[in-house]
Amino acid sequence: MGGIHFGSHGTEPVSLRRTAERPAPPFSAVSPAWKLALMLVLVFTTALLPVRFIAWHAGLGLLLLSVVFMGRIPLRPLLLRLSLVLPFLACICLASALGPQGGPDWRTLALRGALCTGTVTVFAAITPLGTLPLLLRRLHVPPLLVTTLALMHRYLFVLMDESQRMRRARESRTLRGGRSRTWLLSADVLGRLFVRASERAERIYLAMCARAWK
Amino acid sequence: MKHAIEIDSLDYSYADGTEALCKLSLRVAPGECVGLLGSNGSGKSTLLLHLNGILPERHGKGGPVRINGQVLHQGNLDWIRQQVGLLFQDPDDQLFCATVGEDVAFGPTQLGLPQEEVDRRVKAALAQVGLLGYERRAPQHLSQGEKRRACLAGVLSCQPSILALDEPTSGLDPRSRREFKSILRDVPATKLVASHDLELILEFCPRSIILDNGRIVAEGATFELMADEELMLAHGLERPHMLDHMMQNDVLPWSPTLRPPSP
Amino acid sequence: MHIPDGFLDLKTVAVTGLCAACGLGWALSKAHKELPQRKVPLLGLGAAFLFSAQMINFPVMMGVSGHLIGSALLAVLLGVPAAVIVVTSVLIAQAFLFADGGVTALGANVFNLGVVAPLAGSLAYRLVTLLVKDERGRIAGVAFGAWCSTIAASLACAGQLAWSGTVAWGVGLPAMVGIHVLIGLGEAVISALAYFAITRARPSLVEGSTGQDGQGTVLQGVLACLGIALFVAPFACPWPDGLETVAARLGFEHQAQDNHLSVWGDYRLPGIENPGLATALAGGLGCLLALGLALLLGQALVRRTRPESGS
Repeated sequence: MGGIHFGSHGTEPVSLRRTAERPAPPFSAVSPAWKLALMLVLVFTTALLPVRFIAWHAGLGLLLLSVVFMGRIPLRPLLLRLSLVLPFLACICLASALGPQGGPDWRTLALRGALCTGTVTVFAAITPLGTLPLLLRRLHVPPLLVTTLALMHRYLFVLMDESQRMRRARESRTLRGGRSRTWLLSADVLGRLFVRASERAERIYLAMCARAWK
Repeated sequence: MKHAIEIDSLDYSYADGTEALCKLSLRVAPGECVGLLGSNGSGKSTLLLHLNGILPERHGKGGPVRINGQVLHQGNLDWIRQQVGLLFQDPDDQLFCATVGEDVAFGPTQLGLPQEEVDRRVKAALAQVGLLGYERRAPQHLSQGEKRRACLAGVLSCQPSILALDEPTSGLDPRSRREFKSILRDVPATKLVASHDLELILEFCPRSIILDNGRIVAEGATFELMADEELMLAHGLERPHMLDHMMQNDVLPWSPTLRPPSP
Repeated sequence: MHIPDGFLDLKTVAVTGLCAACGLGWALSKAHKELPQRKVPLLGLGAAFLFSAQMINFPVMMGVSGHLIGSALLAVLLGVPAAVIVVTSVLIAQAFLFADGGVTALGANVFNLGVVAPLAGSLAYRLVTLLVKDERGRIAGVAFGAWCSTIAASLACAGQLAWSGTVAWGVGLPAMVGIHVLIGLGEAVISALAYFAITRARPSLVEGSTGQDGQGTVLQGVLACLGIALFVAPFACPWPDGLETVAARLGFEHQAQDNHLSVWGDYRLPGIENPGLATALAGGLGCLLALGLALLLGQALVRRTRPESGS
């Protein structure tokens, strides 16, 4: 059937225009599985090794720094992530420093904690986020868990956008704030976010069924 | 003649008792393109979901739904879902896999096709919508128009003979809309299009149905339905302005025998 | 409460890993058997919800803000097995992608927040909903469950740190529990408010969470509480000792002894000599107090909206 076309562009072929490709993360030649394995070995060794093997710790520190510089990993987000972990680290170090002797020294804890956190952060920076579920599936992790992880990764940003939009809409209509009011509004956003998440889950279920999901 | 879609007095109400569809009968010939008009909540989406047997809890009630001559029942759902491709309104609901390639492969994999055939179909479907090379892209990094096209590729990879489209152009900018329409036009399938985009319906569908509160209130040539201002307004719709433009220029859709009512 | 890497020793890492794997395995097999297929996407979306919910900050005071932990809320909304899977997924993602919580400590974190917290929250919720059967009860149940889950998780966390020799039990327990009594109050209020918003926005979502299969679980609940009490009581004795050590290190020892101003001195109940028993009793009183507050919150929320819904 030949429909009519409004305007003059009706039969223009579909352009293969692409939105700008995001640059591949550094070290993408190394397969994620190897990166994960290496990261696990490094973290487990560092976390469990007595700190007198100072050469190991120094070596790991150097390795991390060289990866950061060779891969030109932006430092700001890296430091931001590190800073998120610091409060807990500091608290436990403090508690350990004040508490009775017997456990590891607080300096040990701080060194280990910072190095491991750094290792994971660098790993996360050079590994594409989406590969984790695939990797786990290959490692025969139970499918229900892998599905949950994959769906979480897929819809995390969708939900975060929704939560931000709801919060803005809420704030734009909130004239006076106070702490209790902020709490009420934020909790309301939380509740609605859950409602939207479950509604979307239902629609996704329908979409999966529509393509013969079993 | 064997109809592509044949529905006889279908009733459906939601779990909370809300009546969604009421004594709805519909026949669509193979290769035909039918528009579904109606205000929000008039039952368009519910009707489309029925074509695929997705609302199974109560689908024994009311008349049967026949797809290509076969009555839809629990036993042939796989076949039905291969025959009927459903394009959902929100592409984010439909693109649930981590990458576009995985998503397009989802249907064929679920149908149990061998891997080479799945790969071949993924490639063909992506080529058809102009997204070749997007296999490893994550859906959240696509533009709205690309998302919509990826959804269509996921549907086309099942090679359906019937396409049920729910608001296929909503949320698209004019360029993506034009691109999407031109892809859709080339798909040789029976199409049932539910949309508020009257221009799209007018362009694609010679025949249309107006739904209101789950009932069919009017059925006929799209042009004539849309030209009837009273009818359109009564059911929460409106007469599109471009009709005037088309009448003035004597541009007629689909059939030279169809003449606009003389003013 | 996410334990970072390097704070747990090998035996704790191994044992908590095993415990977490068992808990997760139980949840997965139970969900595999009982979860209807249409709920499977809800697990992933629930995890995405929890992840983004934890990014919404609630101002507390002086620039400090907190966020939802959510284990108990999800246990009430989705059931314990689903909550275990959801929270575990979030913890895995946080550990590997955001370095939030250690990779070696993943087992411990999954055990504390993913297994202990939902179980404790769900049990407390059921106990309260059996006492008060209407909507007030459910809201109070969510609040009390959230509080209990926070306390239970912090107890487990303190236990693991102590067992690793990182932070002595005598210091870790009062510090962790002391802080989490307060954090738990915040968690309780957020959870209850969020639950309340959900019941208002879409009542059908919480219909399944009314604690139908009651009687058996009460027995389990009581048993679990007894178990926890028995587990905690022996450890509870060194409580004051630990603080005395801290005090000694900080040079407060003399002051404290001179003035009888030991921080926890008031906490001991008069007439009870056994410090373990006293601690357990004090803990019980604290629980009752939290329960009372939870019930008040439920009452207040329901009453607040009644005139509106009537008009």
